Amino acid sequence: MKTIRALQSTALYLILSVVLLVLAIPFLWMVSASFKEQFEIFRSPPTILPPKPILTNYTTLFGEYNFIRHFLNSVQIAVITTVSQLFLCSLAGYAFAKYEFRLKNVLFLVMLGSMMIPGYTYFVPLFQLVINLGLVDTRIGIVLPHLVGAFGIFFMRQHMESVPDELLDAGRIDGTSEFAAFWKIALPLVRPGLTVLALLAFLGSWNDYVWPLIIIRTREMQTLPVMLAGMVGIYRIEYGALMAGAFLSALPVLLLFGSMQRYFVAGIMEGALRG
Amino acid sequence: MSVRTVDVGHSAAGRPARRHLPRYALERRVLPYIFISPFFILFAVFSLFPLVQALYYSTMKWTGGSDMTFIGLRNYINLFDDPVFIQAVSNTTYYAIGAVFVIQPIALMLALVVNSQLVRLKSFFRVGVILPNLTSSVAAAIMFMLMFDHSYGLFNQGLLALGLPPAKWLDQDLVKFSVLLVAAWRYVGINMLYWLAGLQSIPGEVYEAAAVDGANSWTQFWHITLPLLRPVGLFVLVITIIGTFQLFAEPSVLAGGGPKNASLTIAMYIYRAGFQFSRMGYASAMGYVLAAMIFALSLAQVRLFGSRADGK
Repeated sequence: MKTIRALQSTALYLILSVVLLVLAIPFLWMVSASFKEQFEIFRSPPTILPPKPILTNYTTLFGEYNFIRHFLNSVQIAVITTVSQLFLCSLAGYAFAKYEFRLKNVLFLVMLGSMMIPGYTYFVPLFQLVINLGLVDTRIGIVLPHLVGAFGIFFMRQHMESVPDELLDAGRIDGTSEFAAFWKIALPLVRPGLTVLALLAFLGSWNDYVWPLIIIRTREMQTLPVMLAGMVGIYRIEYGALMAGAFLSALPVLLLFGSMQRYFVAGIMEGALRG
Repeated sequence: MSVRTVDVGHSAAGRPARRHLPRYALERRVLPYIFISPFFILFAVFSLFPLVQALYYSTMKWTGGSDMTFIGLRNYINLFDDPVFIQAVSNTTYYAIGAVFVIQPIALMLALVVNSQLVRLKSFFRVGVILPNLTSSVAAAIMFMLMFDHSYGLFNQGLLALGLPPAKWLDQDLVKFSVLLVAAWRYVGINMLYWLAGLQSIPGEVYEAAAVDGANSWTQFWHITLPLLRPVGLFVLVITIIGTFQLFAEPSVLAGGGPKNASLTIAMYIYRAGFQFSRMGYASAMGYVLAAMIFALSLAQVRLFGSRADGK
């Protein structure tokens, strides 16, 4: 009986190790290729590690492709989106969790329903609107439709519901204003939720491709995904520089995730149950 | 502060009673609307308004200039005579079927493995599998582009090592499968987490009771686990459908929708019509057909799988 269990568990670990390896290979292959020369990347049989690691791909990326510029574009846009979502989503989530008001349930359902509408249905008129507002090719134009999101509100409402009413009422008795009750009492208590939402909002903005693609007109404004996809369209693809760019674009979110992975995994799993 | 507490009523238990807080009444009636207003204002301006406009445009022949002519339902009728649109619908359906019937079963099986009592280091595996989901779909497509290279990509080197002929991963016959591989790489992990959450929400006593009744592990899976996974299953299915019907970056970066539109999705075709070919009316009509498809499929799933989930 014991040996059967041992065999079974070995088999399970084997499956999981193979899965993790398979998931890791594309990433590792990209990192390795970013340090190789073009001929080395497509050598047969392949070399796992670059025999003579070079940095030329990175210098090309920073020089010819102006990587820093696009990186900073992405950072700015993602930070503005994240900060705004954290504030506006938790504010609305707090209202839905802690107040009674007329049409509350209807408004909540409308908000949830809005998540089902595909952006592609209204991208054409939305683009016209952005043209009319003079916001084409601007950071404000990229950011504006994403400053607050239905998912974030839904998510924060779940967390706000766990804030005890007694605590808020106690604050009110001490003369705390309604906004201060939200800001000073409720918000510090939902920090784990805020952490997860911060990462999700940052990820969503950082990885967004279609909306920036639609609204960006000049090379200088391009965010990282738009810039990287543009490198593919060129007649001769510089694989080394492309892999270096893809790698460096993934690095910040991986680091960010590394610092808050515990909260994040738990938050995702909770979301699946409550959704 | 103490001055203010005086004029506020306390209930007998010493706890504040809300109805005794009149000075806050007005504030409390108005504030919630102010708190939720940013969302509803932005939603109205940047979603609802363009959504209504798109419906209007969808009945027009319009190339972006000032000449807009009403053509009724002509755009919608033309869609069904357009071989490229039919192709895009069939490709998108392929991706959706692949996501639901290939990616999700793998994700569920992995969740079962990680959930097994024989496996420790659960948090390590949970973190490991989710990493691909953090990279952008553009970066994911780029990584796979390197591996799909027709002569010396990693996939073909692997086939060669096994003594098999190299495959043309991005050719007409295989390109959809290749796109699905990229999607699988990016989405298996996150979906495994969803299923795992569902599995962990099933109380252990249920299984103990079943074991007492002599149910083997297969019967347990079939009669206990799967039915109890219904709520999570519904959630996963709905977001999978919403996601795959809006697939854009992977086929676009990997193959530009080609060759010969073999990987083109509805979302890509809308983008092309609206922003490259200046067929705004046509693109808007397509957008509404896409929304209708997503809505109908989600509704069908709620009908199929949601019935028992409500009574939990």
